[in-house]
Amino acid sequence: MLSYLRTFVSRIRATFQHANTDRELGAEVQSHLEMLAQRFRSQGMCEEEARCAARRQFGGVTQLKEDLHERRGLPQLEIVWRDVCYALRQLRNAPGFTAAAVLTLALGIGANTAVFAVVDAVVFRPLPYPEPDRLVSFASWVTRGTPHADDLSYPNFFDFRSGNRVFEHLVCYRGEEFSISGHGEAIHVDGEIVSWDLFPLLRVQLELGRSFLPAEEKPGTHVAVLSHELWQNYFGGDRNVVGQGVTINGRTFTIVGVAPRDFRFPVDNPSVQLWSTLAEDAAASEYHPLTEQRGARTLSVIARLKDGVTVEQARAQMDSIAAALAAQYPDENKNRASTYILPELERVAGDSRRSMFVLMAAVFLLLLIACANIASLVLARSVEREREVAVRAALGASRLIVMRQLFTEGLVLGLLGSLAGLLLASACLRVFLPLAADSIPRISLAVVDRRVLLFSIALALFTSVLFSLAPALQVAKVDLVRSLKEGARSITGGRERLRSVLVSGQIALGLMLLSAAGFLIAAFVQLERRDLGFKPDPVLTFNLDLPQGQYNTAKGIRFSEQLLERLRALPGVQSAGAGWPLPMQGNQVSVSFDIEERRVAQPDRPRSDMAIVTPGYFRTLGIALLEGRDFTDRDDAQAPPVLVVNQAFADKFFPGERALGKRIEPGASNGDGAKLREIVGIVGNAKQSPGGTAPDPIYYFPFKQLSWGLGSIVLRTAVPPRSEESAARAVVASLDRRIPVYQVRTMEELSARAMAPPRFLMLLVGSFAVIALLLIAIGLYGVLAYSVIRRTPEIGTRIALGASRSAVLSMVIQRAARLVFAGLFVGLAGAIAESYFLRTLLYGVMGVQPEGTSLLFLASGAIVIASGMAAYLPARRAASIDVMQALRTE
Amino acid sequence: MPDGKSEVLQGTLDLLVLKTLEALNPLHGYGIARRIEQISEDLFRLHEGTVCAALLRLSQKGWVSSKWGASENNRKARFYSLTKAGRKQLCRETTNWERVAGVIARLLQAAPQR
Repeated sequence: MLSYLRTFVSRIRATFQHANTDRELGAEVQSHLEMLAQRFRSQGMCEEEARCAARRQFGGVTQLKEDLHERRGLPQLEIVWRDVCYALRQLRNAPGFTAAAVLTLALGIGANTAVFAVVDAVVFRPLPYPEPDRLVSFASWVTRGTPHADDLSYPNFFDFRSGNRVFEHLVCYRGEEFSISGHGEAIHVDGEIVSWDLFPLLRVQLELGRSFLPAEEKPGTHVAVLSHELWQNYFGGDRNVVGQGVTINGRTFTIVGVAPRDFRFPVDNPSVQLWSTLAEDAAASEYHPLTEQRGARTLSVIARLKDGVTVEQARAQMDSIAAALAAQYPDENKNRASTYILPELERVAGDSRRSMFVLMAAVFLLLLIACANIASLVLARSVEREREVAVRAALGASRLIVMRQLFTEGLVLGLLGSLAGLLLASACLRVFLPLAADSIPRISLAVVDRRVLLFSIALALFTSVLFSLAPALQVAKVDLVRSLKEGARSITGGRERLRSVLVSGQIALGLMLLSAAGFLIAAFVQLERRDLGFKPDPVLTFNLDLPQGQYNTAKGIRFSEQLLERLRALPGVQSAGAGWPLPMQGNQVSVSFDIEERRVAQPDRPRSDMAIVTPGYFRTLGIALLEGRDFTDRDDAQAPPVLVVNQAFADKFFPGERALGKRIEPGASNGDGAKLREIVGIVGNAKQSPGGTAPDPIYYFPFKQLSWGLGSIVLRTAVPPRSEESAARAVVASLDRRIPVYQVRTMEELSARAMAPPRFLMLLVGSFAVIALLLIAIGLYGVLAYSVIRRTPEIGTRIALGASRSAVLSMVIQRAARLVFAGLFVGLAGAIAESYFLRTLLYGVMGVQPEGTSLLFLASGAIVIASGMAAYLPARRAASIDVMQALRTE
Repeated sequence: MPDGKSEVLQGTLDLLVLKTLEALNPLHGYGIARRIEQISEDLFRLHEGTVCAALLRLSQKGWVSSKWGASENNRKARFYSLTKAGRKQLCRETTNWERVAGVIARLLQAAPQR
């Protein structure tokens, strides 16, 4: 055993030291021969005789050398190397073929590699914490209406946390805006308010300082951990900042630590730069603290499973707590008697998983189409190489050796293609990633790394086997004598049939890809064309932070009045307002309400999305006032409580009635208890959620009566909106220098951002479809053009015998039509099956369901047109064959 | 055998080479061939190139090691010597050979049965 191993090692070593050992061997043999010759000379032979005798005695020198050579190295490896060299030579001799094949492969592999890089980053890449697969996301399961997962409230979270026996840690978090001042210019940062043990849960060591202590959840403490980037950029990397007091949101916070570089939490929100404890929500203020409102569901929860605990066990234990809470607090928890636990990685990818799946499937179809093209090319070429193969076989190469050679060539092509594909993929990522921006979580992490490299090499192997298979099988059938005798022509029939099948198959796959792209485009158009219910252009929006420490409700209201008044006075500004949440930004807060005329118990009350707006908001955004009146500056805390609802809200909750003048009692208040509010106005349906075409019911509170936050400022301008930015900033600074202005965007940009994921998906699949169409046209052209060349004498004879040129033209076109329609027929079955699946999926991802049949016709039409163009050139060439020349070649 | 010489039995050449090296350590290929010639009193027909092949095989298995040196009449030659593993292998092959040879000898001496 050991000696086998030694032999193997020494062979490997020898393989890499060939020249050296070959020389040594020569020297050894030479010295042996000379010693022998010397002996014979001393026995009295002459020089010449002695030499001959020595050689006789020694045996065949060349044979020995060859024998030793083979024994010494690894002959298999050398054979592979020889095959590779031969393959490279072959490819160099056919530059046109090589270029076409490598280019096609580069397209197929490049697109697949790029998509894999994206899918890997979004779906598969583990979370950037130790033992990431033990992290789960935890939520309440709501059984009312469509069952769904929902956020937790603080009191419920505390009860889950204290009853927990299955998680190492259970941590709540919610996004919050922070403004930091005191170190130069005031800045805004996105932050998270978390429970104390976030960092222990993630098992992340801070770069500087310490993480939070349990006692730092108590109201009155203000502590923060900074991100590495914030620490570097705003605090200049000053190590003394830890332990110091810093003015955040108008209060003095103690910085307790700095997170390591590239630390992200939550991973799907890279803009978060600061973490603080839930003491912020426990602070006594004008409002009832959030930590004591069982009905205020604002918290996401992440947990780490204890060792040995499964998700099912965890769910069982949490469910029992949820059931107990539902019994104890029926008002808030009646419909929340169970919980929802999901691996955190899946939560992060969320809805994007489905889009990613569509992308992968589409790009794989493209790869198959590319493979068919290359197989077809290789087949055509193998006809030319028939003689070469036959000669090699005649000289003693076995079929196996020839097939191995063909596979090696395939592999070399595949690897070249994958190399070019990698370059293409990184270029693609650079072009396409900005389209998705940050609308798909973690997509910006997509890079060509080792995993992607391995994937692309695996693809190269897979594709090269795929497209070498057909030619290699053909070789097995080569009739040696015949092909040597008469060249290639006699046995090309099988090959052509195979190429025809490939073309038809390509068309079938292409139809599926095209109709998928058609679906996505139709869905996107449907989304683009829908009535948004507001006029996004020309509107500028920006956000600002009112430091809570310095601005109580009354001060905040006064500030907003002054701000809006000064903004309206700016030249170029037509109207101004503020509101939260803006249209197209998704549903943010839904609040239950009680209708005066049909009062019911708390858990059975209807709920709807809500918004808080100032007077002028509707006019600025171009949301139509249908009935009643807009809010005015007089709708303040002293005035009677009022509401404006949109048409969808009125239709949903007051069907067949006049909603105007009705009174409802929403659960949201300024901390002074729920009030009956009169509906004083009905406005048009502005699209709130980015997906779907259905109107979103929503009701609007006047900011002065529900002062949770000013939200985003909106300005309708008479000039390009961006040009008002500096003036608006100056207005804010003139009121209070400590207030940072951030997220300055036009409403157009905001709406476009909401459309980014479907646009991304559509553009990608659409480009794949275009490439596929091109490949199909090239494939068809190749087959037809080749067969016209091959049949030149035959066509020449036909023309000589009186066939009209138009008959020849139609002969070629008919052949093409047969191939195309065979492919379409098969593809149609696939595309119809696919359309059922896509419709459900699109409804989930985009909220629209385009009609399928017409799209299939369109996709088929595109293929027919592309094929027609591809067939026309060879057909015309066939029709214009010079009879004399054609017959002479025979 | 027309001239009364025997072919070296397949597989025994390794044993011969190892045994020679045990007696004359270190030695070059030429010397090994001479030694076998002497011992066999010229009865073995041996292409000396096969000795070279055997030496390569043995060194690949780690039973002999080699280095370049100068021969008696100052010619450059590669000298082979037995390694520890080679000595063990010689032992094994010797026992093996003796066993086989014994069996064959007994077989040949046995009286033919009628």
